[in-house]
Amino acid sequence: MNEEKKQALYAQYLESTHRLGRLFSVLTLLMLLSAPFVIGAYLDALPDMGSFWRGFLSIGLVYLVSCVAEYLIYVPMLGAGGSYLAFITGNLINMKIPCAVTARDIVGAKSGTAENEIISTLSIATSSLVTIVVLALGVLLLIPLQPILQSPALQPAFDNVVPALFGAMACKYYRGNFKIAALPLCVMSLLFVFVPSLVGSTSFMILPSGAIAIGLAWLLHRRRAAEEGSAL
Amino acid sequence: MSILSQLNSPVLYLICGGIVLAVALMCVVFALRAYRIGRAIGMDVTKMRRTVVASATFAVLPSVGILLGVIALSGSLGTPWPWLRLSVIGALHYETQVAEAAAEAVGIHGLSASQMTAKAFSTIALLMSVCIMWGMVFSIFSCKRYTSRLSAGKSGSGEKKRSAFSGFGDTAMTAMFIGLVSAYIGSYVGTFVSGGGRFAFAGDWLPLAVAAVGALAMWVFLKIRDRFDAAWIDSFSIAGSMLIAMTAAIFLARLR
Repeated sequence: MNEEKKQALYAQYLESTHRLGRLFSVLTLLMLLSAPFVIGAYLDALPDMGSFWRGFLSIGLVYLVSCVAEYLIYVPMLGAGGSYLAFITGNLINMKIPCAVTARDIVGAKSGTAENEIISTLSIATSSLVTIVVLALGVLLLIPLQPILQSPALQPAFDNVVPALFGAMACKYYRGNFKIAALPLCVMSLLFVFVPSLVGSTSFMILPSGAIAIGLAWLLHRRRAAEEGSAL
Repeated sequence: MSILSQLNSPVLYLICGGIVLAVALMCVVFALRAYRIGRAIGMDVTKMRRTVVASATFAVLPSVGILLGVIALSGSLGTPWPWLRLSVIGALHYETQVAEAAAEAVGIHGLSASQMTAKAFSTIALLMSVCIMWGMVFSIFSCKRYTSRLSAGKSGSGEKKRSAFSGFGDTAMTAMFIGLVSAYIGSYVGTFVSGGGRFAFAGDWLPLAVAAVGALAMWVFLKIRDRFDAAWIDSFSIAGSMLIAMTAAIFLARLR
């Protein structure tokens, strides 16, 4: 197959990915939003809309802002197919994003390429399926598993899944990128030390931290490009 | 019939299980399409298989953590609903917070089975669904436009723009991820140093220590990979490092 045909095929794939992604997202939304009403009808107790709107105004708006930030940050990392699936299946920060980034690195895919799009989609679909299977098995075996999983001795391990993940990821990504990593790490550490109440809003702090890292990366990129230019 | 028996009834399992199954099928469809197009455009099949293996091994441990979230919520919301929420859209760290806040909004003090009513449950369930659905809503309306703009930005409109940005896409993505990790590591530092009063060094040090063990374990994995030219280790290094760090957490917690 020649290059032109491959590109046409890939463009066709992307187009249908958007169509399918939107269709699946709408279907999932409909199922999720109707489930409380269906369950409510079964229990003879439909949701109390007054309480719902009060609750939405007090907590829903906070999550709306958080979702905007997540959307802007994660879509460039995940590509089209990966984004649709990731937002349908959730657990982005503690699984989908690190999983997709790791997969991309393992195979050496470059951002914005067809390879990156495909690897990201495969990675998110696989990790989502694993979660679905683990949760289904867990729910099936809930009674025999509960004492083991909830034993006080194991609690610290499961309370620290995210620190364990980010510690490992930090080593992998700081290594070789220390010039980019040092400043955001210092700034964020100082910020959380001086304003400890921000710990509850860590997901919002990704934006300034990412902006510092990208700014530094851009400066280093320009300097490297200028050096290469003068060497030539 | 108690409220928990109602919330754990077969009908609820059927409703929630049906939605989980539908989402699993969506994942299969996306995976198969990606695999097929990858083969069609001549991508290395070994790379795609490595991706599947690495992602599957990577996902096991966080999934067990998510299962604990299901167990934690099942005491007050029954098992089927938390199972659905944490399989679809939900996120481990959001779901419990939203459920607690939603419970307060409907007049229950915290999530407790003793105060739960069927009406409160259906209202909490609706709030949980609506609060975290926005990523999907934005995807429906703007994912195509957003990704197209990103691609256009990468290709650039003029020669000067192209040369300035060429090769920066990957660095930018890596930098964004470094920013993300730095925010979380910084929060662990802040928790330890000022969590128990500013500069009191009396906050919880366990997350920081666990992150350090995870980093150390990853460093060893990377050294082994480089020393023995063992690229295959990449597929298991994150999961392995997490397992070591989580095991360390069990022992370190005894020192608190």
